[in-house]
Amino acid sequence: MIEDPAASIIPFIANVGINDEKAQEIAIGLSEGVVQRRFKLLDLVVALKEELLSNEASQRQKALHCLSSVLAELPEDQLSKNEVSVVFSFYLSKYEDSNLIKETLHGLSSLAKMRYMSRENTESLMDLLTSKYQSGSFLAPVRYFAFETIKNIYMRNETKLVADNDFADVFVKCYIHVVSGEKDPRNLLISFKLSRQMTSTLKNISKFKEELFDILFCYFPITFKPPKDDPYKISNADLKLALRSAMSANAEFSEDAFGNLIDKLTASSPVVKNDTLLTLKTCVDNFGGEALVDNWLPLWNALKFEIIHGNDESSPIVPVGQSEPSGDNVNNYQEALNVMKSLSYGLITFDGIAFEKFFGHIYEELKPNFTHDKDLKQSCCILASIGSANVDTFNKVIESSLPLFLSNTSATAKLKLIIMNLSFFFKAYAEVFNTMDSSDEKIRSNKLLSFKDEILMILSKALTGTSKVETTLRTLAVIQFTKMTTMKDFLDKDEVALIIQYLTETILTDDNKNIYCACLEGLKTIGDTHEETILHVSLTRMLDLLPVSEKAISMNSEPIERESVLRVLLDFTTSKHSLVNESLIKISSKSNSTARCGDDSEYCFLLASALFTLMVNNIDSMSESDAILLKENVEPLLLQLLTEDSNVFIKDHTRMLLSNVLFFISLKLPVAQHQQNLETYKELFNSKLKIFEKPAHHVFPFVQLLAAASNNCKFEDADSIFEKAIRLITSKHPISEFEKLGYLELLMVLSNKWVPEDTIERLCDWDDLSFSNLETLIWIGKGLIMRNCDMGLTFQERLADKLSREDVGSFVAKKFEVLVTDLVLMGKYKGVPLSNNVRLLYKQKYFSEVFPKLLDQHKRTSNLLVKANYLTALALTAKHIPPKVMEPYMPEFTPILLQALNLPMAEVKVSALKTLKDTVKKHNQLATEYAQSLYPVLLKLVLPGPFNDVQVRLLSLELLETLSAVVPINYSQPHKNDIIRGLEPVLDDTKRIVRKQCVATRQAFFELGQVPFD
Amino acid sequence: MSEFINENPTVVQKNELPRRKEDDVELCFSGKGSDEAALQRRKALLKIDHCPQSQVLQESELLDRLLSKFTSPESEWDDSETATEESDEPADIIDAQEIYDLIAYISDPEHPLSLGQLSVVNLEDIEVRDSGNKDEMAEVIVYITPTITHCSLATLIGLGIRVRLDRALPQRFRVTILLKAGSHQSENQVNKQLNDKERVAAACENEQLLSVVSKMLSTCQ
Repeated sequence: MIEDPAASIIPFIANVGINDEKAQEIAIGLSEGVVQRRFKLLDLVVALKEELLSNEASQRQKALHCLSSVLAELPEDQLSKNEVSVVFSFYLSKYEDSNLIKETLHGLSSLAKMRYMSRENTESLMDLLTSKYQSGSFLAPVRYFAFETIKNIYMRNETKLVADNDFADVFVKCYIHVVSGEKDPRNLLISFKLSRQMTSTLKNISKFKEELFDILFCYFPITFKPPKDDPYKISNADLKLALRSAMSANAEFSEDAFGNLIDKLTASSPVVKNDTLLTLKTCVDNFGGEALVDNWLPLWNALKFEIIHGNDESSPIVPVGQSEPSGDNVNNYQEALNVMKSLSYGLITFDGIAFEKFFGHIYEELKPNFTHDKDLKQSCCILASIGSANVDTFNKVIESSLPLFLSNTSATAKLKLIIMNLSFFFKAYAEVFNTMDSSDEKIRSNKLLSFKDEILMILSKALTGTSKVETTLRTLAVIQFTKMTTMKDFLDKDEVALIIQYLTETILTDDNKNIYCACLEGLKTIGDTHEETILHVSLTRMLDLLPVSEKAISMNSEPIERESVLRVLLDFTTSKHSLVNESLIKISSKSNSTARCGDDSEYCFLLASALFTLMVNNIDSMSESDAILLKENVEPLLLQLLTEDSNVFIKDHTRMLLSNVLFFISLKLPVAQHQQNLETYKELFNSKLKIFEKPAHHVFPFVQLLAAASNNCKFEDADSIFEKAIRLITSKHPISEFEKLGYLELLMVLSNKWVPEDTIERLCDWDDLSFSNLETLIWIGKGLIMRNCDMGLTFQERLADKLSREDVGSFVAKKFEVLVTDLVLMGKYKGVPLSNNVRLLYKQKYFSEVFPKLLDQHKRTSNLLVKANYLTALALTAKHIPPKVMEPYMPEFTPILLQALNLPMAEVKVSALKTLKDTVKKHNQLATEYAQSLYPVLLKLVLPGPFNDVQVRLLSLELLETLSAVVPINYSQPHKNDIIRGLEPVLDDTKRIVRKQCVATRQAFFELGQVPFD
Repeated sequence: MSEFINENPTVVQKNELPRRKEDDVELCFSGKGSDEAALQRRKALLKIDHCPQSQVLQESELLDRLLSKFTSPESEWDDSETATEESDEPADIIDAQEIYDLIAYISDPEHPLSLGQLSVVNLEDIEVRDSGNKDEMAEVIVYITPTITHCSLATLIGLGIRVRLDRALPQRFRVTILLKAGSHQSENQVNKQLNDKERVAAACENEQLLSVVSKMLSTCQ
């Protein structure tokens, strides 16, 4: 706390210019002293006296700086009238000292704010600035305080300035004097903002309008690139906007503004043009109708040129729903149209007759374009943008413009034009009406309605009456149809239904990609607003189209592939619950009947795939009520299909997919129902179908349903079922691979959820080395490892030990990947508590434990066959481990993978190659290290051989290409020619896909070390 | 010469160039064994869902893997003795479309467009004579149509095509590149130059020229 000002002056002066922060702190302390009346400001002046009168300019400067800083911190009402007056005269006297000018202005700017600053003082301050202040002789920071001063004068005296025109005249003159010739962005920003404020408030602007405008316009178009470490954080946009709003502040400027801006429109730089157009628009918006009545003609002439000769960069054929190309590239065409819209709005709201005149003129001028087919797009854009201002303009424009081009024709070129032109008016409709309330009478009486039938006719003719080759026309028609449905209250329900029908027919019968996408987007867009209609008109129709048997289907006597129906269904139902549910139910019933109908297993598989895909795509957003609905309507159909033996023809893959669908439904059911459902299923499969007495494929749906049940459910017979399942697999019962897989999965689920560890220990036989027993152990192990319990660890180790056996090692090695394979029924799904005991990072843990162990054993053994087992197990496992987890092991792992490439198993090679490819991309160092040894190995793998199947050859070629990019040239250059030569025979590979990759790989090596072409 | 064959060509959109019908399926099919049923399933699934990564596809393939019968490596060793010679993969022959795919995406040296888009190269102007027998000679003839009859870059375009085909075709193929009759003022000269081994070889020695060619080839797919 500062008690004595004199004591603080010395540290202040010492700190100025050295530690300004500290000085500022002291100034704040001093001002607090004044506020708390511990001493007076005049005491401070007295204390500063010696320094203020010093012969040294710098000393005087610092002293005055101290006073000004304190003054700046004082609240506005702190100083009394008398004090202000005294301090003011003090500063006036200091103005003569040219060394102190900055500090003086700083002090004056603070004084100008003071509440008790008298009118006389203010006037003499303005007088001082007008007569004695020469902006040219000072630096920007000094001028800043002059700007602050006039700003503060204005803020302090605004009401007086409005009331007293003489006073205002003096002020404006002062302002003009001070701001003229300014260049500093910070000062300009103050100037623009002040100009905006005063021109829109003061009453005497017309006297000074030209001078004031010139002061602003001389900066137009302003550009400013902030320096790297700009302390003031002023951006180009700040300045632009401030200038723009200042220029458009008062209609008095209109004469000068329009004239000058129109001149600037001829600029060649698109950025300047853009700024001009935006400023024009602000001016048009702000100046009001009267100014526009006088100026619309020259404005129109200038804008017309801009629009007719300008280029619209954004293409008009952007399908609905797809976002327009964004970016900061300026679109002057659109901006010019926006000015037209503002112009139209300004005029119609000002005076209807003025608008008539304006529109009549433009209309007459554009009319001939329609007879000569010239600049049609631009003409329509202009008319449409005039129409988009409000309801009145819209009706007027539509009434006179549409008859110009709307005609019934069959010439495709003409039709295309009509539709393209229409789109601009649709856009105008959306702009005018889409935000309105439906009850508004104006919507129902709009003039476009009278053309509706004709428009619908033209569009449907374009879509249905033309040949399929006319893809552009048809796409356009689809897009415009869609647009019409988004126009508020324009179409009635039947018309929307008609459009939906058109789109549905088109998407099914036309195989052009663009049209397909446009229709799909259209159906999706319409679905957002008319879900019910879509459901009835489109979806139900498509679902009904699906045949029950291998019967050809057609629409409007055009044949349709049933696959395309399914594809459309899958593509457009996404995330719309009612549509998804309806599709699921209908397709389920179709597959149920199809499967009974005869031997069309491929179609059954397709239907099942569609069901599965529908489920997977929408599982995240599926709610419990959806699941309940589906359980009622879908589950019985599918269960019947899966559990009936006679009369049903479905294959294994279909069976699996349908079972998965059951899994998804059960998963989403409320947890409270799980226990009861579990009992029902147990009853059905165990007691009724007796799947544990002899092997049956019915086990598949059972496993899926069990897996979906919450892990909190009680399952009493788990132990006995577990034991029976093991018996079924390991005994000599004839059992198909598919059935076996079902029981194995069952063992996994049971060991994961319900069977206690001691039972597992008791029932597992580690001495039985038959393949089926080993497989059983692996699957049980999988369930345990996912659960991440101690028992899992034991299984892991014991299984790894089996790899060392010559007899069964190779079998275990091949099956080792099962432990980490991802299965649908053990997955994690959004919005459901985990049904199974799957630890999140179990794979990481597993890999970090198993990898070093296998690696170590691989090193220790000398038996080549056993070595191969370890290699196989590792290489196959790697495929299922996320690359990120493996990263730290790669340096050790890479040589192992290299060895694995020599194993006589295509599968192992594929796995190793895939892992290597991932590695090489990420670890260039490692790639470089092993490139030498990789090249010859890969060159062997690219040739056809018994274990080099297409995939091996393809992956080897891809790996080579990747290597060419990541290995430094000094390492790869020596091998370049060998590789190019080595790949030559591959050019004659039997498979095209291999040849293609080989060409790409060779090209990469040809270019190695060549003169770069850029 | 009053009428040019390919003056002011209509630029063909990239996705409208002629392509193999089954291309999509072909690309997705990365050679999963020779199991006919699996292949059928894959093709069917791709018809209803165009994404080769679709989950249903992956599940169906996973099932194939899980069901696959175990064969011990020893027995595979034994099989291999007999199986080496016989390849059970059906062969894809090299046809005009394949040649077209190789050269249609080469960029024109002075436009940002490809030769296919400018119709300098056309599918119907490619002839392939190949018996399919790897021990016999085969022949490819490509007729190119310059955009203007005095196109000074016809030789460069021809060189680009030749380099591409020399690199991409097995040695048993003989490549002939000719200007389409009546498409160029100095047709004979250019034809001679394009098919003169010595001159092509010499051109490829020129690093600067080779880098221009590389730039043209950089857009190939």
